[in-house]
Amino acid sequence: MGMGSNGELKYEISQDAYIKLVLHSLRHKTAAVNGVLIGRVSPKDEGIVEISDSVPLFHSNLALLPPLEISLLMIEEHYVAQGLSIVGYFHANERFDDVELCGVAKNIADHISRYFPQAPILLLNNKKLEALSKGKDRSPVMQLCVKDASRNWRVVGADGGSKLLLKEPSANVVLSDYISSEKWKDVTDVDDHLDDVTKDWVNPGLFN
Amino acid sequence: MVTKTEETQLNQLEIQVDNGGGGAWEYLSLVRKLKVRRSEMVLKHGSSILSDPGKRSALGPDVWTLHEQVAIAAMDCQCFDVAQNCIKALQKKFPESKRVGRLEALLLEAKGLWGEAEEAYSSLLEDNPLDQAIHKRRVAISKALGKPSLAIELLNKYLELFMADHDAWRELAEIYLSLQMYKQAAFCYEELILSHPTVPLYHLAYADVLYTIGGLENLISARKYYAATIDLTGGKNTRALCGICLCASAIAQLSKGRNKEDADSTTAPELPSLAAAALEKEYKQKAPDKLQLISSALRSLKL
Repeated sequence: MGMGSNGELKYEISQDAYIKLVLHSLRHKTAAVNGVLIGRVSPKDEGIVEISDSVPLFHSNLALLPPLEISLLMIEEHYVAQGLSIVGYFHANERFDDVELCGVAKNIADHISRYFPQAPILLLNNKKLEALSKGKDRSPVMQLCVKDASRNWRVVGADGGSKLLLKEPSANVVLSDYISSEKWKDVTDVDDHLDDVTKDWVNPGLFN
Repeated sequence: MVTKTEETQLNQLEIQVDNGGGGAWEYLSLVRKLKVRRSEMVLKHGSSILSDPGKRSALGPDVWTLHEQVAIAAMDCQCFDVAQNCIKALQKKFPESKRVGRLEALLLEAKGLWGEAEEAYSSLLEDNPLDQAIHKRRVAISKALGKPSLAIELLNKYLELFMADHDAWRELAEIYLSLQMYKQAAFCYEELILSHPTVPLYHLAYADVLYTIGGLENLISARKYYAATIDLTGGKNTRALCGICLCASAIAQLSKGRNKEDADSTTAPELPSLAAAALEKEYKQKAPDKLQLISSALRSLKL
């Protein structure tokens, strides 16, 4: 893509994509969860990746290939019709204060970055999430991680610097509201779908 | 593990109780029986029974079981006062009880006082070296401290003593998986399949692990276990059906250039297309808006 170092790229995440992932992790508080980011390079600015949607994937046994492979096939197929593709990976660790990127997260993100080289990892930051109700922080409750020149994943800046942006400035306010109303109960992931295909990982109508 | 029927029953009861339709004790008993973790609900409805003297006495001796259940749920929800009160009541009724001693140690754990919890468990173990629950709490502490290797060590020691504990084997498998130690996880599922050959989930998990490790032999094996899962579930397991299709594709890829019979003489060649057809039928019936997605996925697997 000829972008220079990944550090120059900005990632702009839409409210819906952002909130869906956080709610998913809240639905499964005692487990590690993951998801994929959906979007495209901004048609107006090659230096910005627009993350317009997200799909929550699993809340158990994240390290198994078969469910992952089948879901990536279906997800890609679903979004290609909208001119979008899988552009990144989201991960929330099992433990509250665990801010490490585990092998599973890196492996899955490596795979995604083979198809979309600018793919980031967004890692949930539980301390920031907890602090949401107490403050007016407008920055995302996620850490941005990108691949550096030696192909290793590293965290970008203390709070993502200004490289990870919330598209809608009031996203955290909306998120706090949804948390208060226990909206996480309505989030469906691919795990749920594979157990019961009537459950829809697209989560249509979640934010209506 | 909970079956779909049990889960539906539990959820229906939960909705009923939460909407004022009664049946709280029935719900709480079912939660205990199924060993599920619904701490907010248990705390809410268990507490309301405990705070009502009439409802309390209606339970008779079961009220103490409820105290224990609410204490644990309260700890899970970080409501330490409620937990402490329940424990106090239990201490009064059952002084010197080891079971109550366990609850006290559990409260230390819930508060994050790991050192003190570990001490409490050690001293309880001195008098009860074969208390399974206490051994497992020590594993839980090492998990909470982010020490999976220690958890693995403790769990392996535990399983040497209590090798019939299938929940422990599952837990060990899952810890191995989280560390991507697939061969070790496979071993755990092998143990589970040996002791519980008719539980489809173990066959499915084993197949998933074999597929993930990869290699022609493992893929052929995985396919057998996906087939066993389909057999044991009357063809209703979506994951196993997908597994058959994924295996067929991966095996075909790896077999390119090899003599086909050498590579794969154990197959029923119609199996993948049957599985694909079953998947499409299921989606057509239950999730028609996703039919195109699964068909396309199957096509890209060259089925």
